[in-house]
Amino acid sequence: MIKLTIDGKAVEVAAGATILEAAEKAGVRIPTLCFLKKVSPTGACRLCVVEIDGVEKPMTACNTPVADGIVVTTQSEQLAKIRRQTIELLLVNHPLDCPVCDAGGECELQNVCYDHNVVSQPFAAEDVSAATIDHWPLIQQVPNRCVLCEKCVKVCYETVGSGALFINDKGDKAFIDKDLDKCEFCGNCVAVCPTGTMISKTFKFKARPWELKKTPSVCTACSAQCQIDINSSKGQILRITSDDTTVNNGNLCLGGFFSYGYSNSPQRLTAPLLKVQGRQQPVSWDAAFAATVTGLKQVAPAAVAGLASPRLTNEENYLFQKLFRVTLGSNNIDSEARFGALRTYRTLRAALNLQGASNRLDRIGVAQAILVFGCDVTAEAPAVDWQIQQATRKGDAKLVVANMRAVKLDRQANATLPYRPGSGATLAMALTKVILDRGLADQDYLNRFVVNLDELQADLAQVDLDQAAAVTGIARELIEEAAGYLGGADSVALIFGADVSKGSEAEATIAALANLALVSGALHGDCGGLFPLDEKGNMQGLLDMGVCPELLPGGHDYAAGAPFAKAWNVTLPAGGCNAGEILAGIESGEIRTLYLAATNPLVSFPESARWRKALEKIEFLVVQDILATELTLMADVVLPGATPFEKSGTVTAADQRINVLRKALDPVGEAREDGAILAELYARLSGGVRPEMSTVQLEIKQLSGIYNDTCFVTDAACWKASFSPADKSLRYTPVASQTVPTDDFQLLSGKILFHFGTTSTCAPGPNEVAPSGYIEMNAVDADRIGVKAGDTVKVVTTVGETAGPARVSSKVPAGLIFSPYHFADVNIQQVIPADTNLVTVQVTKG
Amino acid sequence: MAEVVFSSWGRNIVDNRAGGDADLASLKVRLPESYLTEGKVGAFIGWDGLVVMDKTTDVVTLVAAYMQRVQEDYCCAKCSPGRKGTRVLQDTLKRIISGQGKEQDLDALEAAATLLEHCKCTLCMTSAVPVLDSLKYFRDDYRAYLRGERSSTPAKAYRGKLTAPCIDKCPAHIDIPSYIEEIKEYRHVEALGSIRRNMPIPAVCGRVCPHPCETACRRALVDEPVSIMVLKRVASDHEWMHHHQPPMAPKNPTGKKVMVVGAGPAGLTCAYYLALEGHKVKIIDMLNEPGGTVAVGIPDYRMPRPLLQREADIISALGVEIEYGVKLGRDVSLRELKEQYDAVFLGTGAFKSKPMGVEGEDQGYEGFSEGGIHYLRAVALDEGMVTPKRVIVVGGGNTAIDCVRVALREGAKESILVYRRTRKEMPAESYEVDDAEEENVQFEFLRNPTKLVVENNKVVGVEVIKMELGEPDDSGRRRPQEVPGSEYVIPCDMVIPAIGQDPDLSYLEDGDYGINQTRWNSIVTKGGTMMTDNEGVFAGGDCEYGAMTVVLAVGHGRRAARAMHRYLTEGKAYLDEEDAMEDVINNLGVFDKNEQIGILGGLHREHQPKVAGAERAQNYGEIELSMPESQAVREAERCLRCYRVGMVAVND
Repeated sequence: MIKLTIDGKAVEVAAGATILEAAEKAGVRIPTLCFLKKVSPTGACRLCVVEIDGVEKPMTACNTPVADGIVVTTQSEQLAKIRRQTIELLLVNHPLDCPVCDAGGECELQNVCYDHNVVSQPFAAEDVSAATIDHWPLIQQVPNRCVLCEKCVKVCYETVGSGALFINDKGDKAFIDKDLDKCEFCGNCVAVCPTGTMISKTFKFKARPWELKKTPSVCTACSAQCQIDINSSKGQILRITSDDTTVNNGNLCLGGFFSYGYSNSPQRLTAPLLKVQGRQQPVSWDAAFAATVTGLKQVAPAAVAGLASPRLTNEENYLFQKLFRVTLGSNNIDSEARFGALRTYRTLRAALNLQGASNRLDRIGVAQAILVFGCDVTAEAPAVDWQIQQATRKGDAKLVVANMRAVKLDRQANATLPYRPGSGATLAMALTKVILDRGLADQDYLNRFVVNLDELQADLAQVDLDQAAAVTGIARELIEEAAGYLGGADSVALIFGADVSKGSEAEATIAALANLALVSGALHGDCGGLFPLDEKGNMQGLLDMGVCPELLPGGHDYAAGAPFAKAWNVTLPAGGCNAGEILAGIESGEIRTLYLAATNPLVSFPESARWRKALEKIEFLVVQDILATELTLMADVVLPGATPFEKSGTVTAADQRINVLRKALDPVGEAREDGAILAELYARLSGGVRPEMSTVQLEIKQLSGIYNDTCFVTDAACWKASFSPADKSLRYTPVASQTVPTDDFQLLSGKILFHFGTTSTCAPGPNEVAPSGYIEMNAVDADRIGVKAGDTVKVVTTVGETAGPARVSSKVPAGLIFSPYHFADVNIQQVIPADTNLVTVQVTKG
Repeated sequence: MAEVVFSSWGRNIVDNRAGGDADLASLKVRLPESYLTEGKVGAFIGWDGLVVMDKTTDVVTLVAAYMQRVQEDYCCAKCSPGRKGTRVLQDTLKRIISGQGKEQDLDALEAAATLLEHCKCTLCMTSAVPVLDSLKYFRDDYRAYLRGERSSTPAKAYRGKLTAPCIDKCPAHIDIPSYIEEIKEYRHVEALGSIRRNMPIPAVCGRVCPHPCETACRRALVDEPVSIMVLKRVASDHEWMHHHQPPMAPKNPTGKKVMVVGAGPAGLTCAYYLALEGHKVKIIDMLNEPGGTVAVGIPDYRMPRPLLQREADIISALGVEIEYGVKLGRDVSLRELKEQYDAVFLGTGAFKSKPMGVEGEDQGYEGFSEGGIHYLRAVALDEGMVTPKRVIVVGGGNTAIDCVRVALREGAKESILVYRRTRKEMPAESYEVDDAEEENVQFEFLRNPTKLVVENNKVVGVEVIKMELGEPDDSGRRRPQEVPGSEYVIPCDMVIPAIGQDPDLSYLEDGDYGINQTRWNSIVTKGGTMMTDNEGVFAGGDCEYGAMTVVLAVGHGRRAARAMHRYLTEGKAYLDEEDAMEDVINNLGVFDKNEQIGILGGLHREHQPKVAGAERAQNYGEIELSMPESQAVREAERCLRCYRVGMVAVND
């Protein structure tokens, strides 16, 4: 520890700390303008100058490390003069448009002027500022307001890893410019700008900052669940901000910063609708509830089915499953988790007794090696990308990216493994073998925890690396190099995503990755971990609440449901159809009534065209949702629900963190919180009282067994119990060797960074940067089928066909076609079979 | 010698406007009298003051022109006072010389210039020095403008340059503060780009450069110099450790063909910059691999050859053809090359060992090596060199150290270095001497060989005489003197002299090329263009300078490429403003070892991890390991970013 004195106060800090950090500890405030804790110090503004006894020149506190015994003075006549004159210089040609500047009232330049009594201007110069930049989507840049603090440049590069922003030109003409191709439109540049230079176009001129009500809540655009402040005024959300003390360090992505607009969309459902003689008309809630109850009750329990959603809270999902199981006597419940997350859940539970991620997301940022497997992290969970940026950029971590197509993280990867579609498990097993063969595994750990170590060793001895290289299409040397990074590190974070969990042979690949996690050491120690990612906001909560036929809340097997039956005082209904069986049941006429809660099979489910046909057959369709779509048009009853900004409850993040959603505004029109809708229906169907939120939470705690140690009401986020396996409790899972499709084209559907599910396609922000669907292919393929960028391309698979505009890029290798699933226009999911996100496809010019 | 009318250079005020005489030489200000062929140098303005040689110089206009350059061409805008302050200075000066100035403008100039003292770096900070000097010593000139009695008289031309003590000291003139700042900002890709603007073999110069830059590092005046060389390696390691493809791409083909002789640092560098300009370049080399002396004269534990090969591959990828096993003078003549190519660059190195001058060394005894560089090459190329049990290496330079350490790796039980002075005077890098010591090399200091001891035509020992140090010689080192009668024999099985190398210019003997040579057997080039007396034939590196450093060869290669590009496209090899000002400023000198920096110090330099002593002497694995990037960022934070701008006023 280093001892020093600041303004007469003795303080002790760790070696390497800066004077500014020491001052903070001593409770001494040193003025700053360019300092931003979460990025490296810049030293641009020079306002943090301090005097040190025996040192001739004033030093900047933000980037001067402390030295033992120094005596620091932060306030003096000399320092005041330097600071005042520096600010005077900053104000040369600074426009006096504060009244119409978006930063007015929350401008740090205003604050330092006020603090330093800057009231005159002795300097003059020609105004050579660059012109206002208005052609960037979503963000406007006003160079003459810029103090060139570089906060935006640094957050863009160091935190987000996009590196789009840079300083262009020299001297006073210098301005912040942008490489638009690299921009992720995360809005962090706007958030950190101390003045009104970087402006959000969606917020511009909408409000004065001091008029805004800030409601702390959580973003559910993805499963990383960043903490946010909902800024609202007069019943409208005007912007989303986040504080630097949050788990996400104040960083947001496009989903958090710009996609709230769907909440204010004219497409919002504002009143219950009831189909009368084939036409939907607004009705009272009472009429809607009555019709719903009648509809749900009019057929036998086995003919009723329901699909819930990762867009609903924990309490809502819990109520949904209970409503079906208890009041309707049906176990025909499921969700889109069926197509991915549930496979991960079941496979990892069987192998590792793990029901989600093994560690907190911030432990990725301190891992020494990271493997990202079958996952476009940047798109699926941007906050996880930022953790990887932290680990690789600042923590010297090695990064291995295994992905069929090029992703942003490739830039930082020490090894990229572009495995052939369908060969993921083979690659994972090969990596595991190298680690084991080279003696890089922690043998003591394996001996202690793995129940079938002999089997593991015997099986891996059979893995042929040359054959694996041939199957995966990756050179053996590269596989060995990558395995060396993972095996050589003290801590490993293993992250996998949609291309694994939603892909063909998902279970085999997940099992292979679980094996790799065991052998690479990802599962032990405080740093790193195993992180299965799902893009959807409350996917973990949806799984935890047991909204599927085979599981009960807490992940308890449905077959062992006695405690639930007892608590609910019912006999649990027998059987139960999953999503696929519900679809088949509708087609065969066995399922006649369907309740869709915040889910849209017409766009986001695989085989969406088949679902469309099936839904036309449904006798009674209830749709509870927030936006009017072609799905709501098909419904017999439409129950208008609430956006996450309009309701309270809890949601569970990818890393088992339980977050509290806080209601910032009332649901639009007559819309109601989804929990209230489900509670009212529960009361009406059961003939009992309406369950209160607190009762539901208590019941979840008591029955689930996994939410015991956590609370639902605290302000801070809290985590479920950490992963601590018992001895001999981890299981190696044998993985059958894979056959790789050799067909010409494989089509992959998936998420893109600019959209979150389907709701964001109703938000102006995301739509400005990604307005419609497309079909992405390599230039080689485009040449082969004779299309140019923008031409219509027809894709045909065994389950259907669709068409969309071609996008030609190097992000996909030859032979692989990618299309985002968010868009109703291309509706790529109609050609995707139920058990995969990757399918053999015929591609022709349309 | 040029008269000095006024000088504040180095804070030494000489004012002869009212009479008195002083010239540049007496002031020890090394400025040229004329600038290229453009005209006489009327004045110089820069980081350390003003030097006025022509009494008609309009100093206020000179200062205004200087500040315009500082603000518009060089100011990085990375701090508020610099970015805004120099603009205020530029515009206030402009107002004054256009007759619009007011009395309070002088106060504003003084206030803004004084505030630049608090800039982030020294670019704008030092640019205030001549402004304040002019306000102090040329105030009457300002007042004349304010009174409307004067109109601006600019010089015929102003020529400027951005520099820094480290940039100036680096023979390749790499923009060191720029790449260090980029490393500080975690931008390793950009850092490597900055390095490659002047240096195409960063993997080499990040490892084996004697880093003269670090002797001119101002941080050393506060605590310890920045580890400039290792930071270069960090940027270079980042690229291959991430499998990145280098981003460079050549310009459109010019149709011109260039032959580069020698794939050493000079030749590779010259080829690289010519290829980027779109010229078709072919390299020939007598060896079968790239790198020249770097490949076969520097052991792999210091410079792993796969990384050297990678650097050459990057250059080949720009369209440069390299043909190995072809030796100039043996397989092809310079005359033929001149006929077949539009220009030729000679980068043939210096690989002829200097003789020791002891009895018996020319007899071809078994156990006597022709020279250190030959021994190293024979080992590197696996030519069947057998190293016996007890080896003596004579010399004190890096090659000598390389030899004793290689001998250990080749199986010698005892490896002994004999040097006529003490450890302190050894020209080898001191860390390398430490390394050798850790590997159990033995040192015999203050000993000089006098005779080889031979039995049956085989070396069995070397007779040495004890030495003592006398007065310092020209090099500043104390001269060794023999202690009469102190001869004795050190037994050994092999003697390797490693006391220096000369160029082998025998390829010039097959005709009259008109290429002048120095008395040290090196090629003479002209006026900084690196062109020999034979038009179209350029030379650089060890064959031009004598055995020197990799980084000097790189500097030569680049300078030659720039001049050759002009020769190829404009028909004339000449220096542009960047080259010429580089030389003007280099001659003047930038680093001031007596400067008082006045900031808080106490930050130690970071060191890269290293494989420990004895174990490493068993193999050729690299000894110095990559510095973790987080550590590199900490080291980069120590850089003081000592940019400064110099400008000459050129008159008729």
